[in-house]
Formats: sequence, C-alpha cells, structure tokens
Amino acid sequence: MTDIEKKFKELKEKKEKALILYFTAGFPSFKESIEIIKKSAEKGTDIIEIGIPFSDPIADGPIIQYTSAKALENGINTDRCFQLIQILKNEVKIPYLFMTYFNPVYKYGIEKFADKCFKSGVSGLIIPDLPYEESFEIRKILKERNINLIYFLTPFTSENRMKKIIKKANGFIYFISVAGVTGPRESLSQEAIDIIKKIKNETEIPVVIGFGISNKEQIKQIKEYVDGIIIGSFFLQKIIDCKIKEMEELIIEFKEELKCK
Amino acid sequence: MLPDRKGKFGIFGGRFAPETLIGPLEELEREYKKISKKREFREKLNYLLKEYAGRPTPLYFAESFSKQIGFKVYLKREDLAFTGAHKINNTLGQVLLAKMMGKTRIIAETGAGQHGVATATACALLNMECVVYMGEIDLERQKLNVYRMNLLGAKVVPVKSGSKTLKDAINEAMRDWIANFKTTHYVIGSVVGPHPYPMIVRNFQSVIGKETKKQILKKEKKLPDYLIACVGGGSNSIGLFYPFFKYKEVKFIGVEAGGIGLNTDKHAATLSKGEKGILHGSFSYVLQDRYGQIKVTHSVSAGLDYPGVGPEHSFYKEIGRAEYFAVDDKTALEGFHILSELEGIIPALEPSHAIGWLLKNKRRFKKEDIVIVCLSGRGDKDVVEVAKIEGKL
Repeated sequence: MTDIEKKFKELKEKKEKALILYFTAGFPSFKESIEIIKKSAEKGTDIIEIGIPFSDPIADGPIIQYTSAKALENGINTDRCFQLIQILKNEVKIPYLFMTYFNPVYKYGIEKFADKCFKSGVSGLIIPDLPYEESFEIRKILKERNINLIYFLTPFTSENRMKKIIKKANGFIYFISVAGVTGPRESLSQEAIDIIKKIKNETEIPVVIGFGISNKEQIKQIKEYVDGIIIGSFFLQKIIDCKIKEMEELIIEFKEELKCK
Repeated sequence: MLPDRKGKFGIFGGRFAPETLIGPLEELEREYKKISKKREFREKLNYLLKEYAGRPTPLYFAESFSKQIGFKVYLKREDLAFTGAHKINNTLGQVLLAKMMGKTRIIAETGAGQHGVATATACALLNMECVVYMGEIDLERQKLNVYRMNLLGAKVVPVKSGSKTLKDAINEAMRDWIANFKTTHYVIGSVVGPHPYPMIVRNFQSVIGKETKKQILKKEKKLPDYLIACVGGGSNSIGLFYPFFKYKEVKFIGVEAGGIGLNTDKHAATLSKGEKGILHGSFSYVLQDRYGQIKVTHSVSAGLDYPGVGPEHSFYKEIGRAEYFAVDDKTALEGFHILSELEGIIPALEPSHAIGWLLKNKRRFKKEDIVIVCLSGRGDKDVVEVAKIEGKL
C-alpha cells in the first residue's frame, strides 16, 4: 500500500474527505515554497501535490503558468524539486505527489526519475499529458517502487475509455470537473455530479475532484459524491497576492467542511 | 500505411494530450476519416483549391539559377498559391472539414502570420468565426499580416507567455481548444500536435507533391533526383516528400534554420541539434535543456522559429529516408537575394534557407541531376524585416 492509499483508508474510517493542495515548487522561491507547504500541511492538508514546473504547461491556466515561469526563472529544476521534497518529508510526514508534464520525466530517464521519487518519499505521480494508452510502462516502473500513477477522467471521456481507465486506476482517480485549463470557477454542473456517481458505482478507488474549486459552497455541494478535492490555482493566487494568513484560515475552514457528518 | 492506429510513425508521434482533449481528438479522427472520403467534401475542396487558391501551382524551371549553380533546378511555386504560401492548402481543407463537422468557431496559431492569414481567409470564405493566437514578438515583426487578418474579420490575440513566439501561440490555442472544443475546431498549421493532426495536415499538404510528380514526369519524363524543402514544423516539406516516399531513388533533403549558428544557442535546428522528447502532444525531436525544459529558439524567419518538428520527419530521419541540414541566417539571406536577382522571384525567408543550402552545397550534385525546391512562400512579408537587417530602412 502506498502512503496515498493508506491516507484514503484512514480518512474513510474517520468519515472525512481529503483536502489535496497543489503548490508550484520554487514559487515564490525555493525557501518560501517549503515554508508555505509546511504551514499548509500543519493546518490540515491531507496530501500535498507539488508541481515540477515545465516551460510549456498546456493544461494549465494563467495562474499556474505564471508561478511555473517564475519558479523556472528562479532556477528551479527537477533535482532541486527532489531536494525540496526530501526536506519536507523530514519535517511533515504526509503523502506527497509530484505533478509534471511528460517531457521532464522522459528527459530525466523514467527509471531514474522513479528511483529518485522512491528515495525522496514521493508516493504518487500525476502527468497531465500522458494519456492512458502511453502509460503502461511507466505505471509498471512506478508500481515496482510502490508509487501510484494517477489517472484522469473528465465528463468528456467516452464510456468505453472510462471503463479501461478505471481498471488501471490506482491511488485515486483525478476527476476534472470542467472543460478547460486549471483556474478558479463558479459552480459545478449537474452533469459532472452525475458522472462522478457513475464512476463511484464502478470502482472502490477514491475519486477526487479538481479544476475550479475556490469556495466552501462548492465543497458543500460536492463533498458527498467524492473522496476528496484538489485545489491549486485559487491558493496560488493567495500566495501571489501575499495573503498567506488568509490562505491558512481557508485551509482550516475547507478541511472542517470536509469532515462531513 | 503510417501513422499506425496509435498515431505513430515508428516510435514517433502519438497523442500526448490532456485527458480533456482525448475525446475531441478521437472525434476529429473519426470525423476526418468519414468526411474526407465523402464525394461532397472532395469535390468542394478540389473546386476551392482550383478556382479559389489557384492550383495547380506551376513547377517552374529556374533557368538562370540552374545555369549559375550547374544543374537543373525546378521551383514548386507555392508562393503563387492564394495568400502567398502553401498554408492555404491545409486551411481550406481543415475549415471545410470543421464546417461539415458542425463547428462554428475556428482557432489557429501563427508564427510568421502566413498560417494565420490563410486560416482567416478560409474562415472569411466559409463564414466561420476566427480567432488567431500570435506571440507578441512575432506580432511585432509581422505587423502587416496582423492587419491582413483583421481585414479578413479575424480576431488576433497577442500571446504574452513564455518566449512570446510560435510555441507559446500553440500552447494558448490548445488551452482555448481544451475549454471550447464543443463549438470550436483548432486548425493547426503544421504537421505537429497530437494524432490525428500530423496525418491530417500532411494529407492536405500532399497536393504539393502529387502535382509535382505529375508535372516533372511531363517535363522530364522521369522522377527527380532530389527534393529539397525548408523544415520548421515541416508541413511544406512533408507535403512535397510524402507522395514520393516509395520512390527510393528520389532523395529528400530538409533544411532547418541554423540561426546565428549551430554552435550557439540561437537557432531552430530541431532535427540537427535536438533530442527526443514530447512537445505539443507528440513524441519527436525537440530542442530542450538537460531537464527537459523547452528551449527558446532563434531564426531570421518567424516561420521556422520553432523548437519542435513534425513526428513524421523524425521518423524519416531515423530510418534514413531523408537527410536534414541547417543553414544560418546569413546563408538564407544569400538565397533570398540570389533568387530575387536571377529569377525575379522574391522568396520568403523560410524557403530562402533551402535555396541558400543549395548554393552552399552545389558540389554535392552532378550536372545531370534534377532538383526540385519547394518555394513554400513569397517574400513580400519579409521585405521590411530584411531591409531593417541590412540597414536599408
């Protein structure tokens, strides 16, 4: 069992839903990103997703594009990201995921990347531009090192394809609730909720929802259908605006909401 | 027949796209296969290519240039296609396809502006809404093309992210498509992107090679010895090469942008200096650093200024079907001048690379060789830029 799988099991027993937060490694700086991630973990974040910045993030909206570009300007690179996670892992023991595009992983060497993930305590990998069809080799390499490869589903994934992906899914399923790139949005559609129900009917694997979450009302609306939520751009904007305190308060508030009764 | 079912040319190509785009890409592949076989589609496209775009374009024997260089050189005159470049072959095909798929909105990226203009033209003709993404730096160096697009009713959106050139315009167009695919078709301008794009664009551009084959057989009663074309993303070159693929005696040469020089960081010679990687949805050669971050490229020609290349070219390189070389900005400018002076044809800076390479490498050829160069576009768009570079403006 990976740290991620253990975490979901533990949360299920406590009847809680997972709060997963995304941060761009090296933004606003290497040191500050460690501090910010540490604090958010202490405020109740269940799982941390750390983005290894990529020069051409096609699935990301303006906020993550901005933080990625800044972090790269500041000299972040894949090796530094491994260092960052090692430091964090020693201080706050919660599950950590890496999110990056396929090219940085491929260029690093898939096995070498997986080894480093294992050594630095990464328990999952999210690669938005790696489709199901191309994922088998890397999934196997990661599995041998007890690391999850997270799969995506969207409201536009065909039924046939959904079945195939669910079969291979491990750790959790990342459900993208809307058409479009990352970034805050107003509400979640009934269509999205219906599809989540369908997925939940077919699998025991936790389903978490991402893309567009920015307030407690959304969480209230969705929490009974999913096993967790992922927030990225919304909190990165708080960091950009230097509103770290406000972010910390919201983390506490959101986590409270996710302890559903 | 390549690509295979996974959209691969050997190991290259594929569909490295976010899950949100997989559905739309599957839909596009399905619809393309269905619609492109329909008589109604083929007749309409052929009609437009002939009556509207002015095809077939001539295969012109460049007599003075041939005399100077010592062997026979023919120019495939894509500069005479409507809007001044080969780009129209693809945009008429894709916009017509989109219309028959029931889409109402077209988006495109553009570097030099030629693909943007060709897309805006097809949209004006076929009555589709059109949005073109263009890097801020390209926008500045190709102002006239921006105005042309506006005249044609297209909205040009400046892209301020990343290197502010073609690759970032593609990123932005893809993001738009991810959000709007229900109503929108993304017209990619080169043989790049996730499957089925490299196949679709190649097929629409193959008209170049098909015509060339007929024309050269008529003029010379035999196939050419060499086909030479510039390679940025690689659509004019694949369009010329592909119909000759099975004729092994016809050699393919692709010429990339060497910028300031291949020993510097300022070039766009992806096949010459790049490494395998993933960019814009396909596995191909890519200019990248040791951590897989995509490099910022440089070329005097905006149309070649791109850190990736079509996966089919990577495949041709891998199996030795084509050879790829690079020439620097200076050599391209020599090509630009010599064709203007000897033939009265001002070429675009992109095919000027092919002409320049030929000049520099004329000793490789025998005097009985027949060489065909794809003159992919006309140079009007570049005249101001060249005058500036040469201090004449």
